[in-house]
Amino acid sequence: MHFIVQREQFVQSVQHVNKAVSSRTTIPILTGIKLNVTFHGITLTGSDSDISIESFIPAADEERELAEIKEEGSIVLQSRFFADIVKKLPGEEIEIFVKDQFAATVKSGSVVFNLNGLDPEEYPRLPTLEEDQTFSLPQSLLKDMIRQTVFAVSTQETRPVLTGVNLEAADGILLCTATDSHRLAMRKASLETDNESLEIKNIVVPGKSLNELNKVLEETDELVDIIVTDSQVLFKLERLLFFSRLLDGKYPVTSTMIPDQFKTKIELSKRDLLQSLERALLLSREAKNNVVNLKSLDGRQIEITSVSVEVGKVTERVDCTELDGEELRISFNGKNLIDALRVIDSDVISIAFTGAMSPFVLKPADHEQMLHLFSPVRTY
Amino acid sequence: MERIIFLVDMQSFYASLEKVYHGGLDHQPVVVAGDPKIRSGVILAACPIAKRWGIQTAEALWEAENKCPDLVVIKPHMQAYINASIEIAAALESFSDEVEPYSVDEIFVEMTHSLKLSSESAFQAAKRMKRHIKRMLGVNARVGIGSTKVLAKMACDHFAKKNKNGIFTLTEENIPGTLWPLPIGKMFGVGRRMDDHLRNMGIRTIGQLAHFPAEQLKKRWGVNGELLWRTAHGWDPSPVTVSTHIHQKGIGHRMTLPRDYNTWKEIKVVLRELSEEVARRTRANGYMGMTVSAGAGGQNVHDSVGFHRQQKLPDYTNDGKMIYESAAELFNKHWGGYPVRSVGVTLDQLIPDTYRQLNLFHPVQDRETLNRTVDSLKSRYGSAAILHASSLTTAGQAKLRAQKIGGHYK
Repeated sequence: MHFIVQREQFVQSVQHVNKAVSSRTTIPILTGIKLNVTFHGITLTGSDSDISIESFIPAADEERELAEIKEEGSIVLQSRFFADIVKKLPGEEIEIFVKDQFAATVKSGSVVFNLNGLDPEEYPRLPTLEEDQTFSLPQSLLKDMIRQTVFAVSTQETRPVLTGVNLEAADGILLCTATDSHRLAMRKASLETDNESLEIKNIVVPGKSLNELNKVLEETDELVDIIVTDSQVLFKLERLLFFSRLLDGKYPVTSTMIPDQFKTKIELSKRDLLQSLERALLLSREAKNNVVNLKSLDGRQIEITSVSVEVGKVTERVDCTELDGEELRISFNGKNLIDALRVIDSDVISIAFTGAMSPFVLKPADHEQMLHLFSPVRTY
Repeated sequence: MERIIFLVDMQSFYASLEKVYHGGLDHQPVVVAGDPKIRSGVILAACPIAKRWGIQTAEALWEAENKCPDLVVIKPHMQAYINASIEIAAALESFSDEVEPYSVDEIFVEMTHSLKLSSESAFQAAKRMKRHIKRMLGVNARVGIGSTKVLAKMACDHFAKKNKNGIFTLTEENIPGTLWPLPIGKMFGVGRRMDDHLRNMGIRTIGQLAHFPAEQLKKRWGVNGELLWRTAHGWDPSPVTVSTHIHQKGIGHRMTLPRDYNTWKEIKVVLRELSEEVARRTRANGYMGMTVSAGAGGQNVHDSVGFHRQQKLPDYTNDGKMIYESAAELFNKHWGGYPVRSVGVTLDQLIPDTYRQLNLFHPVQDRETLNRTVDSLKSRYGSAAILHASSLTTAGQAKLRAQKIGGHYK
């Protein structure tokens, strides 16, 4: 194996695949990054067996030569050192070759690193997925959908399936749902697919995978192909493949939990509510329960209060653009509401309540693509 | 009243556990050492066979390997040892409710009160305890019995470990002939520095210290001097304190059944009663809990059998039904079908119930209303005022229990 590659390109690829590498793997070879070099280009692979990332650097793209391949071959190099080394190399180009068994030489400028590698034959093969369930989304939209749902997944392992985001597709609509059983985030989007009858259900992608995927996605309209099977999902970018294991188990039915009748409804500026809750949380965070109280007032106003027994109390009035229905007093986890408000891009939001002990719905006022559901906090 | 305290010590604890986990190493010298790859690692534990080769705890691995070429070296698994230790402490609760883990492999048990209630002698209880631990984890235990904690500790360290049956009793009566002839450095609380100081004062045995004027010791070392003198006499008023390691402010109930219950049909009746009682007490104290533990003990022909396990709930609760369902799950997984003589249920990880985050999937409002109603009925008309129908079957204990306080008729 012998090649010379543009440093910038190579560093980016190494960093991408390195996101999948975990130092705490039970399979020693997975602490390494696999380099596979053919005359077409360089393929890098990193994996922790839950997530696998493959990045490809072609020998040349339309405009210029990216790598000069002198000899084909492959090797596995310890990612912990290799990723740091390539980042700190001084030259514009990096030359890497393997002479002896698994000993690699990395050269750049006047720097020479001799690194001991591992046998590439021992590196597990990535799954090959049948591409019958495939759809596409613009990268930027997928990035939004992840950002707007993944924060709501559960961090507790008592119900593992809730640590992921559930994907459902039918009638050309993709639905992402995440819940930790106290709050729920839902995001819809229209799909671009050739497959009219595409219907997917119970595809639960670990929240951790989506957080990593989000880091390699870019704010462009270029499409991502998403291929799902029973146990794996593959996100296909132009020069990057992102595989993730799916979570086992049945995702709970969430569509029936959303109330369709309301007793009290308010509409107000997202910024006003967010800032008010952030102030209220200054005290309830101290009380370690994040409890914030909301009360409807006469004259299109609500009152936000929170109390910390040791510190004190805060009361604030917030103007609403609309306030309809019954009088209301309710308590909830203010932190959960803030999380949701932060991912809403609209300026005006609506909240619909069905009594102090029932879940309530938060939505942007200008579209139906997003919905957040919260169960209140019961206080004595 | 003379107290009876046990100090239970696990022999070569880490090494013994590793032998059990790995199997096939029964007759080989095994040590647990820092990191087998680093030869300068230190021996954390050596099994009795390794000790026969002259290997000592805390010596360097290379020294040990020089002494014994066939040595099996195993990397430590601390979490597993701690889990095993907690398991043992929890199991010893079937002997007494006052259990204090002293270190990973030593546990104090206050037996004064529980022995008074049984026909067993201290020696018989110690034997049963050793057998119980051996069966449970395959580890040999030694028991020091004493009228105080220091005596129990010294009985274990200096006598029980050398004794063939692994049990020894020290009381104020027998210490002149047993403890007092020992060199002063062997006394609990005497380190190397103190050993030198005392020897310079002409005190070479524990007995000599006991007969030394206490005032002089007090003058020289203050309270600590007096403490040493008291230790030499075996005097130590410190109680066995139930540790936070096994009980993080949990609320639990344990019931000894009037006869062996052989079937799940019968056991589940008392399990439900216990769960409801735990839930009621949790509510009465204004708490909710997140971890349920359940256990059972019994006799299978001649051997003590039993289990004690816990699991986390998806959410905080103080509802008897939730607690019961979790406890029943634990039983289904861990109960071996043997006759059961005692059953226990505990709710741990408690928080105040003044605020309760409601759950989207499990609405609790109806259960809360129901529980409040049941609680007020019981507090007004007695705990037998309203019961599950199953409590009226022959297995039910709730009606009987309602007439008793702490297991005795009112």
